[in-house]
Amino acid sequence: METFALKIVTPDGCIFDGRAQKLFCRTICGDVGILPRHSDYCTALGMGDAHICFEDGTVRHAACIGGMLSVLKGDVHLMATTWEWAEEIDKARAEASRERAEKLLAQKNLDARELELAQARLKRALVRTSVAK
Amino acid sequence: MAGSMKDIKLRIKSVQSTMQITKAMELVASSKLRRAKERVEQSRPYFETLYRTLYEIAASNTEFSSRYLTQRENKRTCYIVIAGDRGLAGGYNTNIFKAVAADAGDREFCVLPIGKKAVEHFRHTGAQLLTEGYPVVADLSVGDSFEISRLVCDGFLKGEFDSIKIGFTQFVSMLTQTPSVLQLLPFDAPRPERGKAARNLILYEPNSEEVFDAIIPEYIAGVVYGAMCESVASELGARRTAMDSATKNAGEMIDHLNLYYNRARQAAITQEITEIVAGAGGGD
Repeated sequence: METFALKIVTPDGCIFDGRAQKLFCRTICGDVGILPRHSDYCTALGMGDAHICFEDGTVRHAACIGGMLSVLKGDVHLMATTWEWAEEIDKARAEASRERAEKLLAQKNLDARELELAQARLKRALVRTSVAK
Repeated sequence: MAGSMKDIKLRIKSVQSTMQITKAMELVASSKLRRAKERVEQSRPYFETLYRTLYEIAASNTEFSSRYLTQRENKRTCYIVIAGDRGLAGGYNTNIFKAVAADAGDREFCVLPIGKKAVEHFRHTGAQLLTEGYPVVADLSVGDSFEISRLVCDGFLKGEFDSIKIGFTQFVSMLTQTPSVLQLLPFDAPRPERGKAARNLILYEPNSEEVFDAIIPEYIAGVVYGAMCESVASELGARRTAMDSATKNAGEMIDHLNLYYNRARQAAITQEITEIVAGAGGGD
């Protein structure tokens, strides 16, 4: 199988730098898949599951939240705000965070900002729990 | 004479204990510095790529406008100032405040201070503070920098201020740290003249404006986080250098005092002998 150069960086450092066969992730306007020989491309990332098919055919899932994806001359760069491999996600913590957010949202007296924060927390927790399964 | 000998002895003791403290602070700073330096190096590629992409979008596209690019008449500037949590770091805190004051001149500005010293300084000078919610720079996370980014982006879009700048200390090397002030918004990119633009063959989805607008807050958060890492490393570097020279000075001081002590001791002995000799002479 043909492969392409993939680099994943986050503010906490470089997560992956190597070659891959396929990359799937969620952008602000839906899921996309990147295959080798993709044309030059740039988009912003949303929140959701991302998975990579490596050179040897193994597939690894991760929770990918926010950031940017760019393809330049066949090199793929993924700048994520958070990138957590599925097997490294702390399930209990994500579950607890989800419950906390749901409890918060159940109260009706939140102001706009609190509501937004709680919703964002719930979304992140849901992404994490769904990826960790 | 005995009195002055005792005084000097006491003074040597006190200098010695100060030296122990400065020595310990130096060691703590250098061990923390190693970790902080690693963090700086890890965080750099992320922001560099983000900046390059934004720059390319803005520079290569003429039919393109963004709320983050519009240059307004600069009435009010918002400064994000990152200083340390503690003193005893040489000129680290003072230098960054001076750099910001020089940049602001006498224009109107408000401040978002990060770090205890910054909060104290700007409260004291009576500047308008956006928030005092970030008094500890050492344990700010990526999440916090996103909060800050949202706060200033909202303010910018609402027109509360017309530009956003960040003041932080760049970590050049273990021995050099330079305070610097960077403009964040409006995004400073050279706009190509109409008709002269390089042909842009990159596919933006859904379109370049939306990608640009979605990435700007991330970019600001990225810069804030990066500046924070740099500042923390700079603070430790500055403290290490300051404490190193303090330790050296204390060593020199002890040498001097030892010299005085020996002289005083010698003088006391000489005096005693003179007294004995005089006493023996008088008994004849």
